[in-house]
Amino acid sequence: MNVLQKAGQRPAAGFSLARYLRNLDWVLLLAALALTGFGMAMVYSATHADPDLPVATYYVRSQAFGLALGFGAMVVISLIPFTSLARWRHYFYGFSLVLLAATLVVGSERMGARRWLVLPFFALQSSELAKVTVLLAFAGFLAEGVELRDRFRFVVSAVLYVALPAGLVFVEPDLGTALVFLVMMAAMLLVWGIRWTHAAALAMAAFVAVAVVLRVLPDLGISLLQPYQIQRLLVFIDPERDTSGAAYQLAQSKIAVGSGMFTGKGYMQGTQTHLNFLPAHHTDFIFSVVGEELGFVGAMVLLGLFMIVVWRALRIAGLSRNLYGTLIAAAVGSIIIFQVFVNVGMTIGIMPVTGIPLPFVSFGSSSLVVFFMAVGLLQSVHVHSRTALYGGRLKGEPYGQIDT
Amino acid sequence: MYLEPVRKKRPPGDDPSIGMRLGLLAVAAVLLFSVLGFRLWFLQILSGDRFVELANNNRLRTVSIEAPRGVIYDRNGKVLVKNRAGLSVGILPMDVQDEAEVVSRLARVLQIPEEDIAKKLAKGKLDPYVVTTIKEDVPENPVVAYLEEHSLEFPGVRVEKSYLRDYPRRSFATHLLGYVGEISDDDLQKEQFRALKAGTHVGKDGVEATYDSSLRGKDGSRTVEVDAMGRPKRVRDQVDPLPGNNLVLTIDSDIQDAAERAVREGVERARNSGFKNAAAGAVVALDPRNGEILALTSYPDYDLSKWVGGMKTEDYAALTAPEAHNPLFNRAIKGLYPAASTFKPFVAATALKTDLISWDTKFFDDGTFRIGRQVWKDWKPGGHGEVNLVQALGESCDVYFYNLGKQFYDQKGAVLQAGLREFGFGRATGIDLPGEEKGRVPDKDWKKAVGKTDVDKLWKTGDEVNLSIGQGDLLVTPLQLAVAFAAIANGGDVLVPRVGMQITDASGNVIKRFEPEKRGHVQLNPEDLDAVRRGLRYVTAEPGGTAYAAFKGFPVPVAGKTGTAEKRPDDDYAWFMGYAPADNPEIVVVALVEQGGHGSSVAAPVVRRVLESYFHIAVKGPSVISVTE
Repeated sequence: MNVLQKAGQRPAAGFSLARYLRNLDWVLLLAALALTGFGMAMVYSATHADPDLPVATYYVRSQAFGLALGFGAMVVISLIPFTSLARWRHYFYGFSLVLLAATLVVGSERMGARRWLVLPFFALQSSELAKVTVLLAFAGFLAEGVELRDRFRFVVSAVLYVALPAGLVFVEPDLGTALVFLVMMAAMLLVWGIRWTHAAALAMAAFVAVAVVLRVLPDLGISLLQPYQIQRLLVFIDPERDTSGAAYQLAQSKIAVGSGMFTGKGYMQGTQTHLNFLPAHHTDFIFSVVGEELGFVGAMVLLGLFMIVVWRALRIAGLSRNLYGTLIAAAVGSIIIFQVFVNVGMTIGIMPVTGIPLPFVSFGSSSLVVFFMAVGLLQSVHVHSRTALYGGRLKGEPYGQIDT
Repeated sequence: MYLEPVRKKRPPGDDPSIGMRLGLLAVAAVLLFSVLGFRLWFLQILSGDRFVELANNNRLRTVSIEAPRGVIYDRNGKVLVKNRAGLSVGILPMDVQDEAEVVSRLARVLQIPEEDIAKKLAKGKLDPYVVTTIKEDVPENPVVAYLEEHSLEFPGVRVEKSYLRDYPRRSFATHLLGYVGEISDDDLQKEQFRALKAGTHVGKDGVEATYDSSLRGKDGSRTVEVDAMGRPKRVRDQVDPLPGNNLVLTIDSDIQDAAERAVREGVERARNSGFKNAAAGAVVALDPRNGEILALTSYPDYDLSKWVGGMKTEDYAALTAPEAHNPLFNRAIKGLYPAASTFKPFVAATALKTDLISWDTKFFDDGTFRIGRQVWKDWKPGGHGEVNLVQALGESCDVYFYNLGKQFYDQKGAVLQAGLREFGFGRATGIDLPGEEKGRVPDKDWKKAVGKTDVDKLWKTGDEVNLSIGQGDLLVTPLQLAVAFAAIANGGDVLVPRVGMQITDASGNVIKRFEPEKRGHVQLNPEDLDAVRRGLRYVTAEPGGTAYAAFKGFPVPVAGKTGTAEKRPDDDYAWFMGYAPADNPEIVVVALVEQGGHGSSVAAPVVRRVLESYFHIAVKGPSVISVTE
């Protein structure tokens, strides 16, 4: 029995564009576009005066290309009923592993890390794409095992399921993105309904693992972390320790943000940015540019836009009457929360320096495309949770039915 | 209604607590965003001012613009010291990342020891936003060109334009002019230099030191915005430097030049006549009417440009080596010597003034003078016979003055010493050059203070006798002799000698003119003065005079006095002092040749050369002079 049938109504058959547009989460879309526009404006400010650029808008054009690509991907994904994605979870998982493994083997090396696959049109940061594919695969894995919540063995296998691709990212090396995978996993397990005892056991295990990696293994001469990663962590704990540039970056970023004061130095007027005191000012440290040029006000507007996106993501998670959709939306929300916190926290000295981009804002097509794909997933869950676009029953829908 | 959710209830498989769990995520989100918000509030609102300052320190560099030092001219407007543009290499400590690396690279390129750079840099780090000069006068090619090409390997290293002292005549008037160098740490503490920064150039010696505050000018500054590589982007603020004022000296280049050549020639003449230890000397020429120094030289001298850009260690070692005979030392104002016979006019004047003798008081000289068992000999075996004061001065009769010494000793109180001090002996002349010695007029109290044994502490007749011929414990500088002799030439005025004549600004307007200054007067009645002067004239004019040979044929009447000082174990020191024209003196010249032998044969020709220059008398070959004294 279902509600619609009771009411004597049935969804109209076939695809309706009007219905699709009506059911899109416009607030989410506009907030994401606003963040992207904000980001492009800041990237322009940070880079337009670079004398090595062929044109002042070089980076902004590249970002616009990423936006176009991402927007297209978002539209396509939002049209696909998300429930059908669950069926492809093995493909997503396999694809993720192959992609990450391939990156390790044939990826282009930049500054000591293999993170990019060079494609004909652009260099793909594969771990960014893998975030979405692993997310989809893992959501399917959890939804499928919804009856196995009480089995700790299943929970452990779920952890290993994500740990494998995360490990591949970690050895690139890219500690920051690997952490994103783990945080995403933790959030999804939480929403999935992990038993608290299991959660406690996992937390204990994580604590021991961290202790072993940071304390025990180095003493045995085994180093899982790269020296610079340890350096960044140590500098974060004790800035006096710095011999590399990590503390310099942190100090310059804090100076940039702090000196912005309430209203900032004005758009394109940031001295820290334009005199190059601020490193990586259009990528990882783009927030510092916002803080310096637009001040506390600008920073609050930016964080406010992120709050809106997170709010919409969690709202969609709650709206979905389907566990798979709920998990997808919660995962996207948690990734954004984590990345914003770590990235912004890094620029203001409350988190260590890790190479995690600020979603939608940092320069980088891979990240931008992937976050728009994530928005596409949210839209799909939103649209398809509220109504069946295609009318009638969705065939082969095995998990938590939308309609029966 | 179409838009209604498909089903209100969750499927049975879902955890009933899912809403709560999503809520947890939302709470985490709110918490984390709040942490960011509060942190931003703290950074941007509460401590924003501090970060603004840090950002400004990052980007704004205030560099000092050196003010050119004033030019130094002689009295006729000839340039003695000017400036030239040079390049200096410095380090801005705050832009240095790998200090050891930069220091070792720079040491290699500049070819100076690493420790020197490290030491300067360590001091410079106290003020990390100011460039610390490492080396001045660095050649454009290849050093500066290399540094600029490889600027990325030298973070924090700056090449700046600077003014360097330029000496067109290199070793001319060396001691008088002095040199310029970076201010020392001790000087920085002094009141007069309080406003100066480390690295500022100040005068270290000579008129560069005395007139430093006039010559120095006021450095300007420029505030430049730089990027993270320290490259200047634009000028924010500029205060133009105020050039230093120019200094006009009383020195006449031609006379100075003549004096320098003459003393060198005098040393050579002494060596050629058997005094192999002769190596040094000094000449002072001044105008007895106003105290203006016309020439002042000390030999040996050295090339002042060695100081430019910092003296090299090996150069300094060479200048201070024993065989160099201390060229850094200004003998004219710091050298202390027994005056010997050149002292006789002042002893005579004091005797006349105190009515010990009159101008025609005679003493008989048989070649020796005895007090008890002590015997003093005259320089002339057999003596001069009966002589009056005029002859005694002209022929430099020692026995005459031994007698005076004995009589002075019998007087109540230190009459001789008081008279000598009136002429300025035993105290600094007050010349506007640093480091002048004040000499010594020995007396009872002095003897008591320095004597080691009870006998030593006594002021004995012999001490007074020795003093009366300018020997014993008496010490004078060449300048003191010149000032005292000028008092005899000008009728008694003891003047403050000066080398500074006036200070002019950059456009030539006179800012300050230095007026003649009198610091004492020796009261002599005209007859007495005339007697002394006649004696001095006798020296050069009469065939028996000790410098008759040296001034034979000299068209201008010269009055003077020779001196041959004993300073054991050295060879004798040759002195001559003279003034001319004898009847209306315009110039006083004192010459000293250390270990040069006789004043008449070695020092007197030096003075003659200077006078030839002053009176524009053509030099007619080297004078051949027989030894008399």
